[in-house]
Amino acid sequence: MIDWIAFVAVAVAALASACVVVSLYALGLRMLSTAGKAPHVTPAEFTDAITIVTPTEAAAEAKRIKKAAARSPLTPLQKRLALVVAYTCFVLCALVVLFGIYLIIPALHG
Amino acid sequence: MDLTLIVVLVIALALFFDFTNGFHDTANAMATPIATGAMRPKIAVALAAALNLVGAFLSTEVAKTISGGLIKEGSGGVQITPTMILAGLIGAIIWNLVTWLFGLPSSSSHALFGGLIGAAIVGAGVSSVDYIVLLDKVILPALLSPVIAGLVAFCATRLAYAITRRYDNLPDGRAGFRYAQIFSSSLVALAHGTNDAQKTMGVITLVLISAGVLGPNANPPVLVITACALAIAIGTYTGGWRIIRTLGKGLTDVKPAQGFAAETATAATILASSHLGFALSTTQVASGSVIGSGLGRRGSSVRWGTAGRIGLGWLMTLPASAIVGAITAFIALLGTVGVVIDLIIAVGVIVAIFAISKHNNVDARNALEGVNEVAESGRVVKIRKVKPKNAKRRAA
Repeated sequence: MIDWIAFVAVAVAALASACVVVSLYALGLRMLSTAGKAPHVTPAEFTDAITIVTPTEAAAEAKRIKKAAARSPLTPLQKRLALVVAYTCFVLCALVVLFGIYLIIPALHG
Repeated sequence: MDLTLIVVLVIALALFFDFTNGFHDTANAMATPIATGAMRPKIAVALAAALNLVGAFLSTEVAKTISGGLIKEGSGGVQITPTMILAGLIGAIIWNLVTWLFGLPSSSSHALFGGLIGAAIVGAGVSSVDYIVLLDKVILPALLSPVIAGLVAFCATRLAYAITRRYDNLPDGRAGFRYAQIFSSSLVALAHGTNDAQKTMGVITLVLISAGVLGPNANPPVLVITACALAIAIGTYTGGWRIIRTLGKGLTDVKPAQGFAAETATAATILASSHLGFALSTTQVASGSVIGSGLGRRGSSVRWGTAGRIGLGWLMTLPASAIVGAITAFIALLGTVGVVIDLIIAVGVIVAIFAISKHNNVDARNALEGVNEVAESGRVVKIRKVKPKNAKRRAA
């Protein structure tokens, strides 16, 4: 009577979609930092939970990223390629999420 | 008592329950992005409210599970009266507010189911509840969903760290996960709307069916959907402030990569199960994800005491609110007088609890902390402080 197949379907769908989304985004970040453009995002608010980052540390980190980018061993072409791959990953990631939203709205596909 | 008056009362109480639900659950979506500094708390809460509103309109699968099936209504089944639903709702609201006051972790959804089941058993006998549907659509999802979410979050966290790990001591860009968190937490808020607002819609539809306004197995009308969406959005927005205060001490040491993985896992699990009509607890799924993503980090271990306390809260909610629902249903059996007594008790408890919570605002800080189950789950995982060779890099 209990629909185990539906449970397995939920588990597999959740696992697959979450892993795909996270992997794509992570790969995008990886490629960005390979291209020497590691994003530096200062926390919007310094809560207690962020134990390590203070505004001073955040500024130091930003400086370090700039320095690291300057001595990258990659050629400009390689860097540009990495950047293209990075943005492709982000776009794919967004598309996967949008497709997921499309799937759960019955009104969109009858 | 006039049948239409009681229908109006039930709808009002159901909407109030929806409000408390939003109130309780803002943190599910917004605890992690606030903790990692991905968003300012005020913006996060406003965003959560807006997306809850949108989410409520997207799908009605869960509402159908509640209005059609759990309690055998209509011809051939047992006649469920609006009085019983009223009793069940009072049970759910009282249990929800009491746990909130005492800082016990609890699931709004289980409080609702428990209250309704307790009332149905007293009002119409043990056979009035469809136990197979209960097991299939409520209890098993409740047991399995946090585990599934935890597993998904664990894998996602491992992947996120593995892919961005750099051995060459260059910046790894993990701070970039903060941007992603804005989207993933929005998705959780949306999912909350598609799942939790549905539960109230289901109840209101159930009462309209039992009053003969709608036919059996009808879909929720648009007006009901709109009212529920608004109630949960307002609840989310107003409830946020307390949770933000709690989060000052909230989640310990969550990194953006972890937060992103946990939120994606939560959203994926809730959306997948909403799609199939499982009414699961958003709170439990979010907690499972936070624990799972904590375990996915290096040097982590579980604080079993904290985990056990959360688990106990989960197990207690359904039977406890069933007992409260049963008691209110028992009083309601007295007829009009009983319903009036029930209402007086309910209003009294609600007013008293809000008065006490205002009164204790500052002193009861410790009691309030437990309310935020997601923050509590963050404490389940203990991260060993590894001293990295490149300490600065870990800053993100």
